[in-house]
Amino acid sequence: MSIKIRVRGKVRGGIAEIKALMKHPMESGRRINKKTGKPYPPKFIQNVEVSVNGTKAIDAQWSGAVSANPYMAVKVKANKGDEVVINVVDNTGDKGTAKFKLK
Amino acid sequence: MKRRSFLKGTLATGAAVVAVNAGLLTPATVLADWNKAAFEAKKVDEAIKAVFGSASTAESGDLVLKAPEIAENGAVTPVTVDATKMSGVEAIAILADKNPTPLVCVYNYSGPALGYVSTRIKMGETMNVIAIAKAGGKLYKAQQQVKVTIGGCGG
Repeated sequence: MSIKIRVRGKVRGGIAEIKALMKHPMESGRRINKKTGKPYPPKFIQNVEVSVNGTKAIDAQWSGAVSANPYMAVKVKANKGDEVVINVVDNTGDKGTAKFKLK
Repeated sequence: MKRRSFLKGTLATGAAVVAVNAGLLTPATVLADWNKAAFEAKKVDEAIKAVFGSASTAESGDLVLKAPEIAENGAVTPVTVDATKMSGVEAIAILADKNPTPLVCVYNYSGPALGYVSTRIKMGETMNVIAIAKAGGKLYKAQQQVKVTIGGCGG
């Protein structure tokens, strides 16, 4: 299943703030299912990569302590029209990609 | 007895060398992947060491950590780390000191990136949020307590 990512990016004074909202349960593996008494299996995004015009800018690693449906905002030096690509992978191998042009 | 202590001694130094090597290699090799040792560390210092190879940090007014004083819902605590005033920020890590595994996330910056991140993290109880920034080979730390009120009235 692919991970859905909603993105927004705006350039102001040569700096772009890129905001991303991902649809993901971010299950840490610690939450207990009350019916079975067993923990829900871990499922969380582990790697997030942001690149601008093909150049890697941000490479993040996450634990299950990032909130469900994660929100992330980062800043890069960029111009209007630059292409931003965000790639995410979770611990079960599910992937998501978002590609867009900065406004 | 002498031989035994000699063996112990060599084993210990051997282990230390391995640890140092691992520490030195971590930033370059493991970070492209997922730093399991750091994320499974149960103490703040251990986690910082596993990420950056050292746990000695300095304070800096240019490292700004923004978090609420009171979070009514600890499952979505907004945290912003702004190190854009620092030059040469290589990485930022966010930790929550009383979580079972304190390390929440690590951001590595290169190329056009600025040292800034805003995200939402889970916190089980009232605790300190810690931001560590690496700039120019040095580590800087900022921390703030966040009160987590679970349930109802937000008191």
